Amino acid sequence: MNTRPLMTMQVKVARVLDVGAVPYGTRRIAPLDGGTFEGPRLRGTVLPGSSADWLLLRPDGVLELDFRATLQTDDGALISMKSFGLRHGPPEVIAALGRGETVDPSTYYFRTMPRFETAHPGYSFLNRLIAVATGDRRAEGPVYTIHEVL
Amino acid sequence: MTLPIDARPLMVLRLATSPIQEIGSTPEGTLTIFPVTGGSFEGERLRGTVLAGGGDWVTARSNGTMTLDLRVALETDDGSLIHMTFTGIRDDANGYFRTVPRFETAAPRYAFLNCLLAVGTAEIRPEGPVHLIEEIL
Repeated sequence: MNTRPLMTMQVKVARVLDVGAVPYGTRRIAPLDGGTFEGPRLRGTVLPGSSADWLLLRPDGVLELDFRATLQTDDGALISMKSFGLRHGPPEVIAALGRGETVDPSTYYFRTMPRFETAHPGYSFLNRLIAVATGDRRAEGPVYTIHEVL
Repeated sequence: MTLPIDARPLMVLRLATSPIQEIGSTPEGTLTIFPVTGGSFEGERLRGTVLAGGGDWVTARSNGTMTLDLRVALETDDGSLIHMTFTGIRDDANGYFRTVPRFETAAPRYAFLNCLLAVGTAEIRPEGPVHLIEEIL
């Protein structure tokens, strides 16, 4: 698999809503309080309001991530981003993450597959690509290194 | 700090399809269904056959790309069943054909498939589509 850097995205998690036990696991919702993204071809801010991560802790201990965000580039384009992801790791590492501690991201699996939609001609390349991201869960919110799959 | 990403081979998936079913123009684009009649998959950690009964729902979009939506059942050589789906993008003008597979299984031996993300690189050969699928590490 060949990739090239697309962007680094840092989002702020405002608070986490505990929905609780649902038919497929334990549901939490993490609304985003905004954020930033920056890469060689695009940069800007993550808009609060419609951006959040819908988390589902499965019975097998794997956390499924269903992330949606609206991005606004520095030249005013709007980009819709959706990504599906998985997060899991050794129990002690996941527990430390839960306590908001700083954890080496290489000690757990936190990967997502972003997809983008935009109507802006300057960013239409985003409509045509598959991407993969490595996540780093920090206390204030996750940081994603997003790679375009070539 | 940027984090690296790496991958390792998971399987080569070969699909056999029967004549297409052209649904035609829909609100999303032009929909064509490729019924999957069989096939095979092989990797270091799993191998077996693709069961008949699945398909790939392919929508041709207004920007010249196609989006894929596949679901099939895999049966390993030791009798386990694996539910596989993928979405993907096929952009023939740019030679880009990539998929994002997901797997579900109840077989303990293959439970690792429930916990991974994967990327497929596909090509259409005379005998049918071939997908090189890699696990995202």
